Amino acid sequence: MQKISIDPITRLEGHGKIDIFLDADGNVANTYFQIPELRGFERFCVGRPVEEMPLLTNRICGVCPEAHHMAAAKAADAVYKVDPPPTAKKLRELLYSGFYFTDHTTHFYALAGPDFVMGPDAPIAQRNILGIIHKVGLEIGGKVIQARKYGHRIVEIIGGRKIHPCTSIPGGLTKGITEEERHEIEEMGRWGIEFAQFSLQLFNDIVLGNKEYVDLILGDIYTHRTYSMGLVDDQNRVNFYDGKVSVVDPEGKRLGKYAPSEYTDWIAERVEPWTYLKFPYLKKVGWKGFVDGVDSGVYFATPLSRLNAADSMATPLAQEQYEKFYETLGGKPVHQRLATHWARLIEVLYAAERIVELATDPEITSPDFRRVPTEIPTEGVAIVEAPRGTLTHHYKTDQRGILTEVNLIVGTTNNYAPISMSIKKAAQSLIKNGAVITEPMLNMVEMAFRAYDPCFGCAAHSLPGQMPLKVTIRDVNGEPVEVLKQHCE
Amino acid sequence: MSSPTFPQVGQDAESDPVQPGILIIGLGNPILGDDGVGWKVAAQVERQLRASNHDAIRGIDHEAVQVEYLSLGGLSLMENMIGFDKVVLIDSITTGNHPRGSILRFNLEDLPRNVYGHLSSAHDASLQNALAVGRGLGAKLPEQTRIVAVEIQPTYDFSEDLSSEVAAAIPAAAEAVFEVLEEISSTLSEG
Repeated sequence: MQKISIDPITRLEGHGKIDIFLDADGNVANTYFQIPELRGFERFCVGRPVEEMPLLTNRICGVCPEAHHMAAAKAADAVYKVDPPPTAKKLRELLYSGFYFTDHTTHFYALAGPDFVMGPDAPIAQRNILGIIHKVGLEIGGKVIQARKYGHRIVEIIGGRKIHPCTSIPGGLTKGITEEERHEIEEMGRWGIEFAQFSLQLFNDIVLGNKEYVDLILGDIYTHRTYSMGLVDDQNRVNFYDGKVSVVDPEGKRLGKYAPSEYTDWIAERVEPWTYLKFPYLKKVGWKGFVDGVDSGVYFATPLSRLNAADSMATPLAQEQYEKFYETLGGKPVHQRLATHWARLIEVLYAAERIVELATDPEITSPDFRRVPTEIPTEGVAIVEAPRGTLTHHYKTDQRGILTEVNLIVGTTNNYAPISMSIKKAAQSLIKNGAVITEPMLNMVEMAFRAYDPCFGCAAHSLPGQMPLKVTIRDVNGEPVEVLKQHCE
Repeated sequence: MSSPTFPQVGQDAESDPVQPGILIIGLGNPILGDDGVGWKVAAQVERQLRASNHDAIRGIDHEAVQVEYLSLGGLSLMENMIGFDKVVLIDSITTGNHPRGSILRFNLEDLPRNVYGHLSSAHDASLQNALAVGRGLGAKLPEQTRIVAVEIQPTYDFSEDLSSEVAAAIPAAAEAVFEVLEEISSTLSEG
């Protein structure tokens, strides 16, 4: 059996490794996606006060500290059985919307965009944000930087710091915002709406206007019919900060919705002998292996699944785009995983609209931004949507609020099974009958998981870097017959 | 898109009259064992700088030096470098070619773009590409970025503690940063 190793993956946070095993005919027999797991976070946390968690967890990884900050703050609320006042919830969601706006924008322009703007078979040296600037124009770079600056500024105003916010505590926040700050955020949000619309137009022109790309998106290579997961509000609209987790089946029928405290009734974890990371799946459906279908408990949790799991968007312009999305792609749910990039841009627009909505809410500058906890702390679970999937924090404490148990299910971990399946399917579609493996072919395998925006910075060790890709093709005796490299010296 | 105008990137920093010329950045994750050594070295350097009662220590005007502690890469790291004349990055590195705790000094441009460490981020862009983007947009970015790195083994366990070899390297790494500061301070005053 031949073996192809892709190790590690370019443009992916964390250190991953893909092994592709070929059979005697040169077709893909199996693929394994392995991630070395970071250990000991629970042990690290136990014995500390629960109110430290919003600060500690946002140090797990530099990519989405805001998501951990929010989940930890909400879990600490739950531990203390305190319901923060409306202003506190709105301020947190406002901060979170600013973070989403920046994070999703960066993914599109730096990670996903190059495959479409430059083309999946462009030389790797051009498939990056510099390539986009050269092709689309310098102004686009200025807009991306400006979008990032505004998102960081919103986080800084409410969170106290640009990157690692520090103001959320049990029962609310340590500070509110002034009228001047509110006005500044509103203006940035209005700019953000225009920027999001511009980005959707760019996607429309460059991707949807190109038959080759549309065929690629709609084709079978990148399609999986699994369950979809996403947080929704009480009207079943997409929400990043709060609500219940909605799960819909591959046909679009809602399996149900669960509150954070019910997550252990819904999610179980599968252990496989070839990886340390566990595969979460739907307990009510059961684990049937790495397979599609209504009988398989595999689910995904991404921008695309969030749109599938909801009934609509909560803001008007995003709702228009939501309707166009499903009309164009043939109705709900959408299973073509490359459509995630489009869904992500719709979420950018939603985030910007939500910034303006919240910044113009009469309560947002109220000084009533904290309710002091009075109950004895015990146990709490909280869920937010991280940009790369549903994020669950579960804490238990003693009566002093000292942590005795911690469990996290991080965004990307939800997608471990579907990512593995997508890699296998793409490899099987692209590598056939012993044909020579080319760099564009490998990039198209990588595109299968790039859609998920995977980040193993908190699921596994973070070694950020534009990583070398080394492909070793081995003959039936395990001897290397060919070695392909990119980003390798 | 019609109306929004894009302020020159970095104009805030450039319009600040008291902006220090030299930025020292400790990089890494402070709760991931040896991965956080960059922060510890930066803290040591900052303590020595601030402890000085003189205007200058070893020819370095400590008011011209700002120290930051970051867990970032790529575009985010570049954005933090805007407005400075010189940047010194202190980081952990895994070359596999040196014993744990070895201290390496080099310039950013000497580094292959695939290097492991925090200097680039797979999540957005490599620092080299990010700097090219920033310069292309007219941001004031340091012409030269100096790096002091401490060799570590990859870490997979959360901890606030360093291994004994890496902890023992902190004074020498701080000294290496001071040597770099002396060199770049002299070129600053010439400039």
